[in-house]
This record gives sequence, C-alpha cells and structure tokens, in this order.
Amino acid sequence: MNHSLTFTHDEKQASVTVPTNTLLADAARLAGIDIGQPCGGQGRCGRCAVQVTEGQVRRRSTLRLSEADVAQGYALACQTVVEGDAAIYVPPQEKIERRLTTDRVVAEVTVPEDYEYPFSQTVRRVHLTLTPPSMDDQTDDWARLQTAFRLQRRFETVTCSLPLLRTIGSTLRAGDWNVTAIVEISRPSDHQTIRLIDLRPGHEDEYSPLWGAAIDIGTTTVTLWLVDLVTGQVKAQVAEYNGQIARGEDVISRIIYASKNGGADELRQRVLDTINELLERACKRVKLPQGKVTPDQIVKATIAGNTTMMHLFLGIPAASIRLSPFIPAVNHPPALTGREVGLNVNPEAAVDCLPGVASYVGADITAGVLSSGLDSAENVTLFLDVGTNGETVLGNRDWLVTCACSAGPAFEGAGVVNGMRATTGAIEEVWINSDTLEPTYRVIGGGKPKGICGSGLIALLSEAFLTGVIDKGGNVKLDAPSPRVREGAHGGEYVVAWGKETESGEDIVLTRVDIDNLLRAKAAIYAGFTVLAENVGIPLESVDKVLVGGSFGKYINVEKAVQIGLLPDMEWSRFEFLGNTSVKGAYLALLDWRKRERISEIAKRMTYIELSADNSFYEAFTSALFLPHTDLNKFPSVAEALEKSNS
Amino acid sequence: MPIEIPKDKWPGSIRTVTIGATSAEGGTRAKTVTVGGGTTMPYLHFEAPTPNKPAIAIEIKSRKPEDWSPLLAEVWGAAMADPAQWAKKAEEAGADLLVLALTVEDSPEDAVKAVKSVLGATGLPLIVWGPGQAEKDNELLVAVAEAAKGERLVLGICEDKNYRTIVATAMANGHLVQARAPMDVNLSKQLNILISDMGMPKDRILMDPTTGALGYGMEYGYSVMERLRLAALQGDAMTQFPMIVTPGFEAWKTKEAKVGEGIPEAWGDWKARAIHWETLTALALVESGADIVVLRHPESVKRVKDAIGELVVA
Repeated sequence: MNHSLTFTHDEKQASVTVPTNTLLADAARLAGIDIGQPCGGQGRCGRCAVQVTEGQVRRRSTLRLSEADVAQGYALACQTVVEGDAAIYVPPQEKIERRLTTDRVVAEVTVPEDYEYPFSQTVRRVHLTLTPPSMDDQTDDWARLQTAFRLQRRFETVTCSLPLLRTIGSTLRAGDWNVTAIVEISRPSDHQTIRLIDLRPGHEDEYSPLWGAAIDIGTTTVTLWLVDLVTGQVKAQVAEYNGQIARGEDVISRIIYASKNGGADELRQRVLDTINELLERACKRVKLPQGKVTPDQIVKATIAGNTTMMHLFLGIPAASIRLSPFIPAVNHPPALTGREVGLNVNPEAAVDCLPGVASYVGADITAGVLSSGLDSAENVTLFLDVGTNGETVLGNRDWLVTCACSAGPAFEGAGVVNGMRATTGAIEEVWINSDTLEPTYRVIGGGKPKGICGSGLIALLSEAFLTGVIDKGGNVKLDAPSPRVREGAHGGEYVVAWGKETESGEDIVLTRVDIDNLLRAKAAIYAGFTVLAENVGIPLESVDKVLVGGSFGKYINVEKAVQIGLLPDMEWSRFEFLGNTSVKGAYLALLDWRKRERISEIAKRMTYIELSADNSFYEAFTSALFLPHTDLNKFPSVAEALEKSNS
Repeated sequence: MPIEIPKDKWPGSIRTVTIGATSAEGGTRAKTVTVGGGTTMPYLHFEAPTPNKPAIAIEIKSRKPEDWSPLLAEVWGAAMADPAQWAKKAEEAGADLLVLALTVEDSPEDAVKAVKSVLGATGLPLIVWGPGQAEKDNELLVAVAEAAKGERLVLGICEDKNYRTIVATAMANGHLVQARAPMDVNLSKQLNILISDMGMPKDRILMDPTTGALGYGMEYGYSVMERLRLAALQGDAMTQFPMIVTPGFEAWKTKEAKVGEGIPEAWGDWKARAIHWETLTALALVESGADIVVLRHPESVKRVKDAIGELVVA
C-alpha cells in the first residue's frame, strides 16, 4: 500500500509517495531532502530527529528522545517507518542537538537569587565626607579618617597597610575631603572591623562596578571569572592551560620539580604569569560605556585549586604532600593580599584562598561540593570531577566521603596529540558511520577544526570502539577497511579530519598513545568512585544522582561516557553535567561570606579515604583499563549496543 | 568419630585443550597432548580427579643459542645447532611436547624449514614462538602457520599490543595460540576477551600468565595463577583456559643458575643448584595450576615428571 508524505524543511515543502514500511530517511531522500545520518542510520546518534506533525508512523526506537519529544511527534528518521499518509517537519540541525536524552549541557551562570551586595559581600564601597582640618582641629589625617569611619559607618577598628597609609594625605586633599573607600569587612559577623583596600578621591557612583575575580587553578587548566561584585554578574570567563604544564603533567611531577633548586620559584612564577595574563584578557573582554577595566581595579580574588596547586601558587614548600604520611603545609591558608601573593590586582586586594581537606583533596573539591549542592542533597549523590586528579565525593547532607586518583590531563585535551581545550575550533562531538567508518563532527564555533576537546575525545573513543575501529583493549585495528585507519608514528591511528578540512592543514588524528592516555584517565576515575562506594558499602545502583564536573567543555554525551566506561551504566536521567564546579564554587564564595563559611564547614565535614592504603584500587583500575570494562556485566547497555553494531 | 572432609562444588571448570593433530585429524603427529579439564583447585583428589595431568614441554631453538648457560650447552651438546637433532634428544629426554623458539635472524623460509624439520624428526605436538618482536613475530608465524596448516600447533606469543595477526593466521590454518599477559588477572582476562572477540574458538587458547623464577617474583605469579584458577572455577568464562608457563626460561636467567664462578661457597655445587632452581620453580607452578611447563634441562624434566606422577596418583 502506498502513502503520501509531505516534508517541510528550510521553509520549503516536498511531497513523495512511498509504500508502507519505508524508512522516513529513505522517503525524505526520495523527496530530495538529505537528512544527515552521522552514525550511518543505526539509531545511535539521534541526529536525524524529525517531527511528525500529522499522520501515522511506527517508531522502532525512541531511546534518544524524551517522552515529551515523542508526544510532540519527534521521531528518528532512520528508525521510523511509514504506516499512512503523514506530514513531517525536518528541523534545522542545531535545534535537534539539545533535545537528545543523552546530552547534558552545562547551565549558564546566573547570579544567586539570594545575593544582596550590601549584606552578602565582604568588600564594600563607602563614601565618606571628612571635616577639613584647621588650626582649631589638629587631628592627623589617619585619625580623621578613622573617626569618619566610626561616626559615619560605625566601623570601630580600621587597619591599613603602610604603602596605602603613605597615600592617604594626598588622596584626602585631592578629593577635597570627600573620598570613596573600598574596605573589606574582616569579620562579617560583627561588622565592626575593617581593612582599607583603596582610597579614591571624590564620591564614586554607588552602582558602578566593583571588580572581583573567581579563579580555579587546575593542574592542567586555569579558569578565571571576572565579576562585578555590586551586581554579582559574571562579566567575563576566560581559561588557559596552566603554564606549569611544561614542567610536569601531574601534581607529583610538579612537586618533584619544585623541590629542585629554583624549581618552586619557577613554578610559582609560571602560574602567576598564567593568571595575570588571564586577568588582562578578562578585563579586555569587558566593554564599559566609559573608560576601561584594568586588573589593578580588582579588589577581591577568591581562589580554588587542589592542595598542590595552592601550595605552589603561594610558594609554600609542597614536598610533604607526596611523602608519607602525606601532610600538606596548609589546608586553610590565612587571608592574604594581592601584593603578598604576587597577582597583578590591586596590591591591597583581598585574596581568599579557599580551604582544602587533605593533600589530595583540595579547595577545588570543597568549592565543587558547594557549587554542586551535594552537601545539601537529600539522597545519596556521587560527584565526579573529571579532571587531572579525578577527585570524587560521595554522600548527601548528612555525610561526605571523598577520594582522589591521578587520572592525568587527557580529558582536558592535554597529553593527546591533537587535544585542545574546549574553545573555538575544538571538535566537541564525533560520530562514525558504522559501514563506511567515515566520521561526522561538530566544531565549537562552527569553523575549521583545530583539535579535539574532552567531550570530543569521549565521543570519538566511544564511536571508534562501537564501530570496530579499535578493539576493547584500545588497539587500532589496522585491518579495518578505511584509509582513515593507518599506521602512524606512534602505532595505529584514526584520521578524524583530513588536512584539507583543518585550520592548520595537518590531519587531525587519534593515536594509539592518545587512546592509552584516555583509557588510563577513564579507568582511574571509574576505579576511584567504585572503590569509594565499596569502602562505604553503598552499591552504585543506589546512587540517586551522578553530578559530573570538569573543564573539558560545555557539554557531555552521557551515553558515550558510559560506553567508554567512564561513567557507571545507569539511566541517563540520573546524570547532570555541571562544567567547572571549582570556579563556580569560588564565584559563590567570592560573592557571599555565608557561602564562604559553608565551604569551611564542608572541608571539616568531609572524610578522606586514601586509595593507596590497599590493593583494591589497583585491582579496580586494571579491570577498568578496557572498553568498557573487563567485566562486561557491569555495562549491560554497552553489551547490548555492541551486539547491535555487530549484527 | 569419622571426620567428613568438606568439599567445594564449583560452578565452572577449566576447558580441555588438545595440542597437535594426528594423521586422522589432518596433521602428522604421532600423538596429541590434551590438557585442562580441571573442576577443582589443583590436586584435591577428594573433590575430583585430575582429568589431564600437566604436560612438560622442552624448549629448543631454531639456531644455537649463544646466551644459554654452559650447563645446558653441555647436556644438549652438538644437537643444539640442529633443531631436528635437538628435537629428537628432547623427545628421548621425556618431553610431552616441544617448544621451538625462532630467532630474529630467521627469515620466513628459515622458520618454515626449522618447523618442518622438527615436525619431521619427532611425532610430538609443537609450540612455535616468534622471537618476541611484533613485526618479526607476525612475519615468521604467518609463514609457519600456513606451512604447517592443520597440525594444531600453538603459535605465540600473543600480547595485548600484538595479537591480531597471530590469531588471524592461527584461525585460518587450524592452530592454537598462547596468550601472555604480565602477571595480572585482569590483563590476562582482557587479552583472552580480545582473542575470543576475533572469533577464535575457546578450545584453541592457552593462557600464559607470565611467571618469575624462585626468588624472583615466583610467589606473585603463583598467586595470580591461583586467582585465575579460582575465577575460572567460579564461572568466569574468560579465565577458563589451561595455563602455560615458562619456568625454564625464568630459572635459567637467574644468577643462581647461570653463574658458576665468584659466588659464595655455601651456594654449593653449581649444576645441582641450577637444576634445583628450575625444578623447584616448575613444581611450585604446577601446584598452583599450571597445565604446561616449559623446561630446558633434561634432568629437571625427569624430576618434574616424577613429581607430577606422584601428585596425580596420590
């Protein structure tokens, strides 16, 4: 029996008559509309979703669509057959991408609802009008300023640095005894003790921005958010590889380097250079109606980072971190200033280094727990930081346990031949056609690809595995029938993009060495959380939500991450992707002193479990060093997908 | 009061694997060797008999090895320069089967010639090892596999980074493979999965968990083998392959076996010590579940054979 179909695409219509059981994708092709099928029409990628606006169809698989989407008529063109006359809308590709049940996109940053600058913020702008001195009033400038603070603002105690003290007299006179003071309230609870950060002549606009920075010093990536403390809004987000990478990829090799003569100074300078460069870059991004932002206007910086990064940044010897019994010099650094730490912010700026828990669980995780909301979760929740140190936290509002494992920088695009950070030009998604082994990829920004970022690497590894480009051990099958599979300088490799398609003109490839690095990274993270869960006797199935953090992109395809054995095999709806949770935690602490205190509480509450205490981690690690895992029973959905792709 | 010995009942068992093919089976071997089939931990006769006793292979080389101990050179003599002669002497020494180790100097033609001459000289089943360099292994073993089609040779050694070519040629020509992983239960299992994924029948895989000599990590190898056996008995299909280990190779590289001069007097007679070293290493591994031990010295072969006889009869 024949049926008439009408397709609407790109504001044009096309009709075609086809027999019962014709695939929508085939029918569309007959109608002259090419619906892209990156995975080769296997129903794996979900990229061929169309909307059936009228008529009868039969869906063989709706796995990648939500119930709501199916209710609205969405169907996968490669998995849906015609059963009657129908009208079909073919949406533009970018509309489909974010509908899929497998994709998790990080939410845009919004100012917390409870942020109220006059109450939440420890840094304030204070207008003072002083009585000018006279022959009858012989009070000195500093005492005059203190009196004004006390009488006009009830700040009983004011402290000030010597360099700032030297400028007070001239500033007071330049403003004709009207000044704007930038102060830090030292103890928010009593509201009486302040530290003077800056004194500016005249009265500044009350609502003009007051600049702060939230900084995450990652082992691999440094991320910085420039924030207007008055509105609480993030005005610029920038990131760059940590300049210390040139001296070692992981914390251990950095500590060793730091113990060498001059090594500590060099590493400190390298990370300072990275941050100072980011400060410049972030300031340039901000467009003001008049004037411009410069780093020296930044009056407060909140810093998160793992314990080693914090030590190296502060120039504190880190050697004891890697030697038994693994005791850091400082878990809770004291309040510091821009001048002391060497940042090119205002020299008196408040620099707040967030507290850590132990040598291998630092402020990046305490900040991450805060921003992920894990510490107030009702049900048992797993928080994974897919970063170089693979920190993991399991718990809820009553208890928190944590561990760390060295995963390496692969998911941040480092240590991978064509890896890169998740910025313009990075391939962030890949599909491989099972029949032709030809890839389809998506590039951040839409231009020519420069490399592959973390989410792209996850997708690529999974696709290469499912389509048989590589075996379960990660070996490239050189006998695979495609010119893209070839012997390279480092063993077998797969060409994702030919030179003629790329920015540099060179092929973009995934090599055997890259695959090994990715396998080790995913195995370490998987082993970390499985051993942690085992240690506290919580079966993974009883984990309510899995919160994934990491600075490898704005997005993760959870199905792909499960298929490579990075994430546990559970319903996709239980995963959430939070992006860089550490910088987000630093941002929350930068804004609100109550959140900052909450991080200190979290640090006290967390129980650290040392994975190297017994053999179970190594055992779990080697068994996870396989695709998806040596024990396929732990990944039933992947076993099913493999069976499908083999048949 | 009679004491009842508690008996374990296991859901899994070790697969039975037969090496070599007689003329009736498409090969030219006078006999075949069957190993595996165990249903309990090794030699617990009160639980179940040992269906196939462990086999002893003697390792010979396609060219006279220059780096072997003078004690081995002394006992094998001129036969070491001729694989066929060496094979005959090894059969006389009591080998159940032979390992022919090819060398990097061999061309594919040399390798085929050596294999043919050994097959012609004895009726024992044969294991053939490449020289241990991926490309060379593949080149030589493909030639050998084709030339000896149907003989049910064991081709080795497959490792996780180089197994596809060897497995493919073994499948195409009716041979078996030896799958080696570095002393780790998971890594052994992973390689077995990779090889099975290629479609290799499961009765044509021997696993080599790697071992160390007495005093050089043997106990680690021992416990890995024990755990592989336990996993197999518990029903893990990817660990249920018979195990082949190389105590001869391991023992003869130790200082205790190799060196006869400049050592403490308390170490005693060199020859006696060297043979003890090989024998004890081999026997410990047999006790932990080895199905094939590859040895080098005829005296060790005799002693290990006697000991196995006692273990199986007991």
